[in-house]
Amino acid sequence: MLKVRVIPILTFNGLSLVKTKQFKLPRIVGNPIQSARVFNSRNVDELVFIDIMASKMKRKINLNLVENVIEECFMPVTIGGGISSFEDISNLLKIGADKVLIKTKALNDINFIRDAVNYFGSQCISISVDVQIDKKKYFIQGSKNNNLVMEDFICEMNKCDVGEYVINCVSHDGCMKGYDIKLLEYSSLLTQKPIIAVGGAGNPDHFIQLINSNFYGAIGASSIFHFTQYTPNDIKNLMKKNNIQVRV
Amino acid sequence: MVAIIDYGLGNLASVQKSLNYLGIKNTITNNVYTINKSSSILLPGVGSYAQGMKNLKEKKLDLILKKEVIDNKKKFLGICLGMQLIFEKGYEPEPTRGLGWIKGEVKKIKSNNLRIPHLGWNNICFNGNFKEDNINCNFYFIHSFHVIPKNKKVIESYFNYGQKMVASVRKKNIYATQFHPEKSQESGLTLLKNFFQNA
Repeated sequence: MLKVRVIPILTFNGLSLVKTKQFKLPRIVGNPIQSARVFNSRNVDELVFIDIMASKMKRKINLNLVENVIEECFMPVTIGGGISSFEDISNLLKIGADKVLIKTKALNDINFIRDAVNYFGSQCISISVDVQIDKKKYFIQGSKNNNLVMEDFICEMNKCDVGEYVINCVSHDGCMKGYDIKLLEYSSLLTQKPIIAVGGAGNPDHFIQLINSNFYGAIGASSIFHFTQYTPNDIKNLMKKNNIQVRV
Repeated sequence: MVAIIDYGLGNLASVQKSLNYLGIKNTITNNVYTINKSSSILLPGVGSYAQGMKNLKEKKLDLILKKEVIDNKKKFLGICLGMQLIFEKGYEPEPTRGLGWIKGEVKKIKSNNLRIPHLGWNNICFNGNFKEDNINCNFYFIHSFHVIPKNKKVIESYFNYGQKMVASVRKKNIYATQFHPEKSQESGLTLLKNFFQNA
């Protein structure tokens, strides 16, 4: 049976790993290469590594550093940050990335995503969906005036046949009070593609709550691995005790 | 020496990293002389079936590989698309003839309510004729198509995702996996080590 993936999300500012709270106040939390080494030694299911400042600063991700991060990993790695051309994607795949995570370019240029899927294959194009809630409606953070409706965006991306979604709830990011289960349950109805849920995990029970809901997918987390003693294995052991299929 | 075939598709870096880590001599190549001198051949691959065949043919790799694997019986490992291409026919995105070393077709995974691609860690179970190689049976999969061999005897192992599908095939010197051993940490490294021992 397919196991539930538990995936550390490492966010990076170009120099150090940082962790934001509601997408603000990035706090320095460590060195990306060391962290990748630790997560590899802990046998995590997968790793996501994102340069969260690349698009904002209009620069490319540091390929040398990414290569060093991937070098540490014998599990699948997804890389994101400032990806806006075929060359960017191909450079990352060449150094061993398994998937690339795209957000800004997807919001501005749907045709690019369609072409990238056709050229590189659906399985390696993942889309980042950062969700903001306004008057009980879901919008995409970072879209024009932040008023692109989440359903519309996911529907467009489904049509492009992208390989996976990473769905993050902005208001829960870094707060460590649990996932936005309502949002994640709803978004898992909008697509037949794999989903990684992100945003809000602070203790292992939060993972159990999400899996026991109607959300169906993988679980990503960040703060919990930086600011608490819990490791991905602690979480998976608890999941196993709760009869959830995991790889331990 | 293992020749990792470079046909413009696939995760060559990851495959090479695993072999380097295991101390297995290897080279990334599409050169006929290098392939000819190698002791074993690894065909990796990520991407579409039609593009894969097109790239192989452009570099005449279809003929070179046939000579080395079928005629000279070199040890061969195909991974993911590299497994699918050794079958007779694929459908991604349009019907395309494959290398045809193993009889059968490569079809899209039928899904009623399952997420496609089949993505993540899944356990495999071995077909009766084959013995388990003392490995942890969870491997990393990422694919939307699966192989359907005509002759069930070549099936070494299955995985389950809504239905039973083929995880690996073995026929004489040919071995191929739908999952990615190079991405499967301990279990994958063990598999590669066992297969390429004395390569």
